[in-house]
Amino acid sequence: MTDWGMVLSIGLIQNMFVATIMASVVCGVIGTYVVVKRIVFVSGGIAHTTFGGVGFAYYLQSVFLVSWFTPMLGAILFAVGAALIIGSPRISRIVREDSTIGVLWVVGMALGVLFISLTDHNVVVVRSYESILFGNVLLVSSQNLQIMAVMGVVILSLVAYLYRDLQILTFDETQARISGINVTLMNMLLYVLVALTCVFVMNIVGIVLVIALLTLPAAIASMFSNDLKGIMVLATACALVLSLLGLVLSIEFSIPPGASIVLTLAAFFMLSLGIRSYYDRGAVVSKVEGE
Amino acid sequence: MEGSPPIEIDDLTAGYGSNIVLEDVSLRLEDRDFLAVIGPNGGGKTTLLRAILGIISPFKGDVRIFGEPVSEGLRRIGYVPQRGNFDSSFPITVYDVVLMGTRVMKGYRPRYSADSHERAAEALEIVGIEDLAQCSLSELSGGQMQRALLARAMAGRPDILLLDEPTASLDPHIKECIYDSLRRINEDLAIMIVTHDIGVVSTHVKRVACLNKNIIVHDEPLITPDMLEMGYHCPVELLAHGVPHRTYGEHDHD
Repeated sequence: MTDWGMVLSIGLIQNMFVATIMASVVCGVIGTYVVVKRIVFVSGGIAHTTFGGVGFAYYLQSVFLVSWFTPMLGAILFAVGAALIIGSPRISRIVREDSTIGVLWVVGMALGVLFISLTDHNVVVVRSYESILFGNVLLVSSQNLQIMAVMGVVILSLVAYLYRDLQILTFDETQARISGINVTLMNMLLYVLVALTCVFVMNIVGIVLVIALLTLPAAIASMFSNDLKGIMVLATACALVLSLLGLVLSIEFSIPPGASIVLTLAAFFMLSLGIRSYYDRGAVVSKVEGE
Repeated sequence: MEGSPPIEIDDLTAGYGSNIVLEDVSLRLEDRDFLAVIGPNGGGKTTLLRAILGIISPFKGDVRIFGEPVSEGLRRIGYVPQRGNFDSSFPITVYDVVLMGTRVMKGYRPRYSADSHERAAEALEIVGIEDLAQCSLSELSGGQMQRALLARAMAGRPDILLLDEPTASLDPHIKECIYDSLRRINEDLAIMIVTHDIGVVSTHVKRVACLNKNIIVHDEPLITPDMLEMGYHCPVELLAHGVPHRTYGEHDHD
């Protein structure tokens, strides 16, 4: 049996719990836009380019000894860059958006591998691929936690300020355009918000599993609510309860937190799907009988 | 500039890349006009709408809204998109959709006009769907959804209403209801619809224009055989609804 009193007194574990709670709120909100606007693939591409940023930061640290340029800053740089490239109309006029995403996805990953192999491992301690890609409980430093808190506040205040405009944009771009919204700029802003969220989440579940926290809670919530705000609230609640449960399970059974959080979310997703389809079938039957 | 027509299009040529879809199209929408633009698929109806809404910029020619350029005049237009041009499974209530029509800009700050709730309620009443306000959009039938979109356009208190295929794939009875609403709305503002549904057009609108790269404007709600031939590239036998013996006048080619 795990001695939880002891475990929870460890600073890095506390950081992980705080980070997970913050990530749940951010994912509940931004994940809702990702799901209703069907930009899961955009988020996947952005999430994977962060690996290039992490490698880039390690490389710069080892060559130029710029210790302030942390992997998290590198990840932010690459993710926001990818978001701006995907959202750029100049590029989408020439190449289909999903092709651009595919290119960024693999180039980001390849750059990460290249930079990490060029990094002098005697100068910088590089985390294992495994922990970067699939997460590790003890990865969130207090400094990262501070950056995450700032990012969280920025993301949520922007959404609160632009809520209605984002609603119009995600629902009907033509209407957005004729009501005076700069659709290109707004789409880019949404992608940048997604990029920041990806960086946020990669600290917890790792780069490859970012999509899980971004899409599963909102996808579950969208089965039970028909209103954007309702989905956001429900998704946040789902993300909170299920990712904390996943985290507890990961510590209890000593499995990587990324895997246990994702599988906890996925199990609940399947359960919701089952409940929903049973309920819908019941509704159809009673409607037919009522007629 | 008051006194200028709601929409004035001069020698508009527009298209995509090297593909010219509209050529030298001139058109005026008058005060309290009710104009239907008909034409085949690919004839440029959507392109014409996009030019009026400023979504594409013309190769040549000019679109003016009450004498102002599109960027200025756009706020006076209410637009009703074709169903299917937006995500109809989007999680949103009818009321929130209608509220979208009331967005205004104040400096750099997006705002909803102070009376936006009044406007939304008023718009719902105009199209007769007050009782659906709290329904979710995805639960609506085709006709109800069309009304919700009409209400959104009306919530901005526009001076011009533009509709893209307002009655496509709706039952005849529902079509009649929609056109009844439009006729009432038409007492106060100019309406332009784009449709290939020529059946309903002649009985409901004031003027018809036929668009197939070029345009023929007819100052009566008549669709003549040569309009159809130009539009559809084959002689078509005309059927006038309910008036089997009515004959149309000769089309004047000037």
